[in-house]
Amino acid sequence: MPFLEVKEIDVYYGDMQVIFGLSLNVEEGEVVSIIGGNGAGKSTLLRTISGLMSSKRGEILFEGAPISRSEPADIVERGIIQVPEGRRLFTLMSIKDNLAVGAYSRRAEADAEKTLKEVYALMPRLQERENQVAITLSGGEQQMVAIGRGIMAKPKLLMLDEPSLGLAPILIKDIFETVRKIADQGTTVLLVEQDVMHSLRLSDRGYVLEHGRIVMEGPAKQLLEDPHVKTAYLGL
Amino acid sequence: MTRERIQIFFLIAAAGGALGLPLVITSPTYLHILILLFFYAYLTTSWNLVGGFAGVLPLGHSTFVGIGAYTSTILSLQYGISPWIGMIIGGVLAAIAGVVIGMPTFKMRGAYFALATIAFAEGFRVMVENIDYLGPFFLNGPRGLQIPPLNVGLANFMFTGKSPYYYIILVMLAAVLILTYAISRSKLGYQLVAGGEEPEAAAALGINVARAKLIAMAMSSFLTALAGTFYARFTLFIHPKSAMSLDLSFEIAFIALIGGRGSIAGPVLGALLLRPVGDFSRIYFGDKLPGLHLIIFGVVLILVMIYQPRGLQEPLTRAYHRLLDRLSGKIEK
Repeated sequence: MPFLEVKEIDVYYGDMQVIFGLSLNVEEGEVVSIIGGNGAGKSTLLRTISGLMSSKRGEILFEGAPISRSEPADIVERGIIQVPEGRRLFTLMSIKDNLAVGAYSRRAEADAEKTLKEVYALMPRLQERENQVAITLSGGEQQMVAIGRGIMAKPKLLMLDEPSLGLAPILIKDIFETVRKIADQGTTVLLVEQDVMHSLRLSDRGYVLEHGRIVMEGPAKQLLEDPHVKTAYLGL
Repeated sequence: MTRERIQIFFLIAAAGGALGLPLVITSPTYLHILILLFFYAYLTTSWNLVGGFAGVLPLGHSTFVGIGAYTSTILSLQYGISPWIGMIIGGVLAAIAGVVIGMPTFKMRGAYFALATIAFAEGFRVMVENIDYLGPFFLNGPRGLQIPPLNVGLANFMFTGKSPYYYIILVMLAAVLILTYAISRSKLGYQLVAGGEEPEAAAALGINVARAKLIAMAMSSFLTALAGTFYARFTLFIHPKSAMSLDLSFEIAFIALIGGRGSIAGPVLGALLLRPVGDFSRIYFGDKLPGLHLIIFGVVLILVMIYQPRGLQEPLTRAYHRLLDRLSGKIEK
């Protein structure tokens, strides 16, 4: 039984279909990348898994249980956490408060203090600045807070939506290293990225999404060598 | 002396000043102005639970003032039920109405939400204006209800002088401020702020944003309705144009925007600034230029939005903290 199983989902915005019969699996402990250009449906896919949108057809199973008709809050209680694209911090709260809000679900609340220590161990910069208001942080720091806030929710499956968006190359390296550490600590990661090189290097497997359909899948190493991926996404 | 001590000192001084004011101000006109000032500070603080923390702009809170005023008045006139009990019943009814209005409208965003709340409030006012009897309850349509000045005393929530009303609204204001302070530091407070600013991110972290907003709406409308009963007992006459007019809803929003939405001090500061401006322009220009106070409101609102978009509380809070720093620094030396 796969950890996360997406079975032939169709997703619409109003009348416009953006995802077509998409299926994918994620096994426990894996890091899986979904790569694709703008408008391929990557964010829509994550938002559908986390319950912010619903699929018209098809099914999503997490640890064998159907979640496609569940509310976002219930999906969070099962352990699926999405770190949204563009950080989406609560800008007028301090870093510490942003992180605290991450642990408001029942499954995370009791351990909030312990998890906070883990987040600070992973990203010491956040502790140094814990009382700073989020709006005053740089883009890289904001992304760190967004990831930290996701970890505060004690994810079994952490879904990251373009964590590298709008960041300088050196910061992108930092972010991906942090994701690597999170994965090494046993969290399953589903990563949506346009930075194909970095994300595939980090991942065990990958899916290529184009116009709402999976056009290719396989071990990450194999995708990095693939001629189509090379020309379309790596500019080689 | 530490900062905390100075703050406690300020708080005691403010409380003492507020308690002592009616001894100094003997003119009923000025006392009346002060009572209405606290009344609006109370209303805006109650409104702030939704309009401030949850980041939406409800413009129909007059509905809840009306529900509170009419409930306690009808219950006391027709059934002899104590207005204090009617006050609570009115609050509960308003909370139910708040949830019923909130369920469809909280799905809307920005101006649509504001417009929907106006529509509810106006619909409700027009209904009351055109109904004489709602089942067994006598509403008397547009003519309103008069409360005969009988059985004066605390039990009947009725007094001959103005100072008892002053103390009642002062206690109500203090209570709602303490409540707001507690909520702003509670899980619900953070859920509201998070859901107001980034509803998607909040939902993705497992916060039930809609539920948090409905809880805030129920509390806000309950508290607002309590002020409705206060208003009825204070003026002894209520009619749809006074107790549930849009002007009332707008003035609450004005005060909140100028004072600073989402802060504890904002509604009080807004009322402190705007109420006297409104009252005195009415007193001095009312005969020559009626409606001038609304123009002044508008001008002040525009100026504040341009220069202090987060309301007057922001520069004032900063100045206050500087003052605290200076005082605590000086006295420690």
